Amino acid sequence: MREYFKNIYEAIVTILIGMGVTFRHLFVPSVTLQYPHEKLKLPERSRMKLFVNIDDCIGCRQCERACPVDCITIDTIKAGKDEDLGAASNGQKKRFHVTKFDIDMSLCCFCNLCTFPCPTECIYMTPEFDFATYDRNNLIFHFSNYTPEQVRELKEREAQQKAALANAKTGKKPEQK
Amino acid sequence: MAQTNNFPETRFELEIPDPLKTDEFILNMGPQHPSTHGVLRVLLKTDGEIVESATPYIGYLHRTFEKHAERMTWPQVVPYVDRMDYLASMNNSLGYALAVEKMMGLEVNERAQYLRIIVSELNRIASHLVFLGTYGLDVGAFTPFLYGFRERERIIDLFEEISGGRLLYNYIWIGGVAFDAPDGWLEKVNEFCDYFEPKIKEYNDLLTFNKIFIERTANVGVIPADLAINYGLSGPTLRGSGVNFDLRKNDPYCIYDRFDFNVCIGKGEQGTVGDSWDRYYVRIEEMVESAKIVRQAVNQIPDGDAKETVPRNVRVPAGEIYFRTETPRGELGYYIVSDGGKNPVRVKVRAPAFCNLSILPAVARGTMVADLVAILGSLDIVLGEIDR
Repeated sequence: MREYFKNIYEAIVTILIGMGVTFRHLFVPSVTLQYPHEKLKLPERSRMKLFVNIDDCIGCRQCERACPVDCITIDTIKAGKDEDLGAASNGQKKRFHVTKFDIDMSLCCFCNLCTFPCPTECIYMTPEFDFATYDRNNLIFHFSNYTPEQVRELKEREAQQKAALANAKTGKKPEQK
Repeated sequence: MAQTNNFPETRFELEIPDPLKTDEFILNMGPQHPSTHGVLRVLLKTDGEIVESATPYIGYLHRTFEKHAERMTWPQVVPYVDRMDYLASMNNSLGYALAVEKMMGLEVNERAQYLRIIVSELNRIASHLVFLGTYGLDVGAFTPFLYGFRERERIIDLFEEISGGRLLYNYIWIGGVAFDAPDGWLEKVNEFCDYFEPKIKEYNDLLTFNKIFIERTANVGVIPADLAINYGLSGPTLRGSGVNFDLRKNDPYCIYDRFDFNVCIGKGEQGTVGDSWDRYYVRIEEMVESAKIVRQAVNQIPDGDAKETVPRNVRVPAGEIYFRTETPRGELGYYIVSDGGKNPVRVKVRAPAFCNLSILPAVARGTMVADLVAILGSLDIVLGEIDR
């Protein structure tokens, strides 16, 4: 009988203790953020959306190789001998036309591995996080500045150069035979 | 295994007239059941409310981590390792990094080692806070969940500041850490410890010593010490059974031998040694110990360049290694084989939650379905790690 009442007493007291903890929180200022209207300021290291400063990209493809999920696709075309593409902001010479620099953010695993090998620090993650869209294709971000016409021109030129090179080679070979 | 029954044998000898005996009923608990902590299916054979056998079926979250690791370069495995036990990513990548460093014979910078300890102990607290919240949910207490996540949020904010990630950090690298601590971060960690330690009393008031909670968990799912060892349990689940075994003390890795902390074991304060309440309380006490380690590490941390010893190209000599570390869930072992190339040949993981789950059929027999939920919760499983 004593045990019975002791149990009831304990149950009530421990619940009241717990309630006391909850009750004290009525007098604590609210911490809720009304999200779309007010936003937290994220620290600068936050890894959200990838960004590429394409003016600094030298087309070395190191980020593409570092990515564990292959979400970066880069196409480059070698610059001609007499062509000067300028240099990146840290003095690295640009030797390639970066005709395609696509990042598929729907594949990205936000591991930050691509940003470290970059010699010009032109690829980095930004604290911008609200880029949800209705269409998955909108998550593929194109960073290259080249228009399709320019790309076609460059590709044709490259093909011509290759053909010329191949001709030169094959032109020599029959003579040797 | 017959002694695993938590109830006296007389329980089955209830005097029920034969015509009223219920048929055996097969019940699928999960995969989409909130108390299975992910996608675990437990096949129950029940006799009325009493479980006759419980068989866990796993594999719903299988992501072929081990196969993936074979085509990744050594540093690229780290983000994958993070995703195994997503509640304690830091501890997972710490184990992998230590294993690969031991193969390479790499001595890691002092400051990086201290930063590793700080982040992994903070992550242990965060993981145990999730356990506290979800275990409360399992047995029907909703409020502690909010309290646990409140403190966890502060830890995650600290992690976001130092690594950039909130859940999956890719922070501990082979040979060091990804970033040094930003200015004022270590003071913030100290502030967090000051803030956190009094909160333990709040959890105790809310949940731990609540009579209803004790009734739900004490004497439920008793795992005797010998059974726990036989099933290869580890971590708080093993220590809850009264076995004093902590890899941080018994097989110190990294720089854990420099810190002063206690190993918490279950003492059977509210019931039998090794019941669900003990396993729960071991984790609460462990949070205090972790905060203690964090404090010591913050006080001892030397100056230096944390990224000094990160190699540009990871070259691992041919060989194999088994390396084990203590994660919030128990002994996490990495068995890594290298042929000296760019990729690991094999990365086999001994997942603590996987081994801890294996005891479920042994303790489930003879319990009520509602108690089974309490037992499953007290094992603190993470399906991402079990299925990998």
